[in-house]
Amino acid sequence: MESEVNGILVAAHELKAPLSLLRQLAFSMDLASDQKDLKRIQNQMVGVSDRALRQVQDLTKIARLDDGLFEMEPVSVRAVCDEVTEELRYLFRFNHRNLDIDYRNRARLVVANRELLYSVVYNFCLNAMNYSSEETRSELTLQDKNGCVRLDVRDFGPALPMDVWKSLKKGWIEKPTSIAMRPGSSGLGLYIASKFSQYMNANVGAVRHRDGTSFFVELPVSKQASLF
Amino acid sequence: MIYIIDDDKMMADCIVREVAAVYDDEVRVFTNGVEAISALDNGVPELIFLDILLDGPDGFTFLNEISSYSDTEQIPVVVVSSLNLADAELSDYGVVKVLDKSMMVPADIKKCVEKYIDERRS
Repeated sequence: MESEVNGILVAAHELKAPLSLLRQLAFSMDLASDQKDLKRIQNQMVGVSDRALRQVQDLTKIARLDDGLFEMEPVSVRAVCDEVTEELRYLFRFNHRNLDIDYRNRARLVVANRELLYSVVYNFCLNAMNYSSEETRSELTLQDKNGCVRLDVRDFGPALPMDVWKSLKKGWIEKPTSIAMRPGSSGLGLYIASKFSQYMNANVGAVRHRDGTSFFVELPVSKQASLF
Repeated sequence: MIYIIDDDKMMADCIVREVAAVYDDEVRVFTNGVEAISALDNGVPELIFLDILLDGPDGFTFLNEISSYSDTEQIPVVVVSSLNLADAELSDYGVVKVLDKSMMVPADIKKCVEKYIDERRS
């Protein structure tokens, strides 16, 4: 019960930020300098709403994981990464961050659930953007590794706290932390990514660097990959 | 000059718009406290709007830093945060007002600019 209440508190705290921002953006519409500025504010409101809604949808998916409703199928990991990076391109540019993409994998198809994999990549990339300094880059890399495709998203931000790193070494994060794991975050996105990876039998983890963190997920290659 | 320190650029932009509606002088935005501290060498602002949860050192570190220097200790600081903080808790740091991000309206920002800039100039 205690962890359930804690989880609700963390989710509530995480959603408070986009709701507060939406409220301020709505007030800003009255102060827009011209039509172009007004359009920009509207776009920002849509983007903030989309991200908050995605988080709500992901939380409801977590509640449905036990029902096993998410079918595993051959998924093109590059296509998923392309879609995620396209969706987040505006946000990275707005915050003066770069996301470098490096596809080195030969195997294209992995066994996963497309929706869940999308959320994993999305949360890793968003996390990297949030914890990179302005004018710095994050890196998304795909490579083959022992019958898997390994996806790494590396940031150059503050070091990952030891307890979260240890938790990820076990294969998943048991619960989001109520105290910010890195400034401004409850780690809810990483919790979502780790739960979805666990469901897909994918190996998830983090590598601590002296100048940042890489989060990775290793997805088994689909046997259908040999057809391509 | 007014400083706005917030790691959320969109939120900072909102505050800039609200400040610019009543303030004609320069407004500078920083996404972390370290850059803001460095910038103090080139001029001391009349007022600072400060978020607490920042990338790198948090807002309290920034407050400690500015309250320790003679030329910055008197700068009025308005904390803009989603944390539940009381004005009285932070008054020792030179914080003159705490605004709750989830509840504030543009008039709150306007009032702060008018009140604390006027006080400082008089």
